[in-house]
Amino acid sequence: MNYEIGQGVVNALLLTGTLTLVAIGFSIVWGILNIINIAHGAFIMLGAYVTYWLFTLYGVDPFLSIPISMALMFILGYVIQRYLINLVIRAPLLVTFLLTFALEIVIINLATVFWKGDFRSVTTSYSGAGFAIGHVQVPYVRLAAFVISLLITGLLHVFMTYTRQGNAIRATGMDVDAARLQGVKIAHTYALTFALGAALAGAAGSLISVSFPISPTMGGEYTLRAFVICVLGGLGSIPGVLAGALVFAFIEVFSGVYAPGLKEAIALFVMVLVLIVRPSGIAGKAFYH
Amino acid sequence: MKITRFDKLFGGRNGVLLGLAVAFILILALVPLFASGFWMRTLTMIFLLAAMAEGWNYIGGYTGYAAFGNVAFFGVGAYGTALAMLRLHFPFFLAMVVGVLAAMAFAVIIGLPVLRLKGHYFAIATVALATAMGELADFWTSFTGGAAGLTLPFFNPLKWSNQFFYYISLLLVVFGLWLTYFLMNRKLGYSWVAVRENEDAARMMGINTTWSKVTAFALSAMMAGAAGAIYGYWSTFVLAEEVFKIDYTLQMILATVLGGPGTIFGPFIGSFIYYILITLLVFFFHVGEFHETILGTIIILVMVFTPQGIMDFLSGKKKLTISSLLENIRMHRV
Repeated sequence: MNYEIGQGVVNALLLTGTLTLVAIGFSIVWGILNIINIAHGAFIMLGAYVTYWLFTLYGVDPFLSIPISMALMFILGYVIQRYLINLVIRAPLLVTFLLTFALEIVIINLATVFWKGDFRSVTTSYSGAGFAIGHVQVPYVRLAAFVISLLITGLLHVFMTYTRQGNAIRATGMDVDAARLQGVKIAHTYALTFALGAALAGAAGSLISVSFPISPTMGGEYTLRAFVICVLGGLGSIPGVLAGALVFAFIEVFSGVYAPGLKEAIALFVMVLVLIVRPSGIAGKAFYH
Repeated sequence: MKITRFDKLFGGRNGVLLGLAVAFILILALVPLFASGFWMRTLTMIFLLAAMAEGWNYIGGYTGYAAFGNVAFFGVGAYGTALAMLRLHFPFFLAMVVGVLAAMAFAVIIGLPVLRLKGHYFAIATVALATAMGELADFWTSFTGGAAGLTLPFFNPLKWSNQFFYYISLLLVVFGLWLTYFLMNRKLGYSWVAVRENEDAARMMGINTTWSKVTAFALSAMMAGAAGAIYGYWSTFVLAEEVFKIDYTLQMILATVLGGPGTIFGPFIGSFIYYILITLLVFFFHVGEFHETILGTIIILVMVFTPQGIMDFLSGKKKLTISSLLENIRMHRV
């Protein structure tokens, strides 16, 4: 029993890293563009497949393929935002919501047709390896995924806080008109923000593919997780996302141990509860806007 | 502001279009005399979709709350009916009442807390609840049959089965149209529109907005629950992953938006357009594999070019020109 709890704690901590990366792109897009990007999970799926194909066809190490999948998703995200979502971005919520919903459907359908619906996995020579603390197992790939996630999150923080472009993004999130008056190109900044969100989703997908089986429909649950994490942690701050991911990882791992069939239902129920009791999230105030 | 007198309903062409609508429904009532089983089943599906869309229109169209979990009511209606028939041995109509009441009760219970949320939060909370309900129905094997589903008896006598489900679905649609018209000339309907336009102002005017929103939610649950009850008995099989599928939510929203949210005939017309489009594409152009890509592309095109639906064009309020199609982009782009 104690062993189970110890393993659960380690699993939850390791999961926190990946989940942070899953949620952070979603959080930025929501915070700056006020769009719930339902297609976020589909971007994660595409990122996972980039890693899978590079590994299977060319033998590229999954961790080395992260920059490639980020770059590809960045381009895709930029194009989608610049030439599609930007057209209707100021329309009522239902419009952008349905638009990204439709994008998700299209991406998943095309992926299913061209890559078939079966589960695949990236199995490297070091996939099963790990070390043990007492009875608690720590696989190397998950530890690496944890470290890389936190590294990327840190880099994002630096980018948003210390670079001119990052400041432009945050300014746009705070007040579009004021940002425009300061010379920020809004259409470009929006596209850049969405592209950044997609690139982060791509990185998350690459990391997920080394630890979990992937399939074209894998994305939906990650979109929901990203949303729950944003709600738990409060919208629009990087530490908030970390806190949300931590809480969520513990809920998920331990409900997985004690009530496996209801894993999702419990997490969603907690989210609805948090929404009702404290709509601004556990960590509180919004930061991007 | 008179919202739904027939003169407003169809702009300048009210008489002609109302006549057309009545004639259309009469023709639909006569269809079983000559149509094949395939077209009757297709039309029954359209009616069920239209009924759900009419229901979604109450909360999403008139009240302006982007409800994304209405499939939960469809599922609760289907399960309620199936369980009443199997466990309590109720006849279908009595079981349907049980299913519909269960869906409405569920809507009230979740509506009271969830309808306090706004915008994205409301939308996702409803998605979450529908997903959680599906998982619960799948998990709670002793009550719902779990992954094995519930098998219902066939309609008796079997040779009238197609006709029975055709007419009962048509009846539900016509009831929905009447209910919309009826409510839109009552205080309740006005209060929905008031909530949509400005909730704070509505409350200030003395409208009990909670009551107004919860009734809209419960009535949309009633329509979806009734559709679920009919669908469950029709397919004689109720399974969580089928009746809680998010596709149904998307379809009812798309049908409403395509036709025109917040109009009486919009969801009805939208359901026909949507379903016939899909059926034509899948059966006659053999693009079955790409079914969802087509659905998604239609949604994208509608959202970009006519998010107000086609009712404005049908009623003559707007002319169908390239310029009017680009109006949405002109208004909302950056």
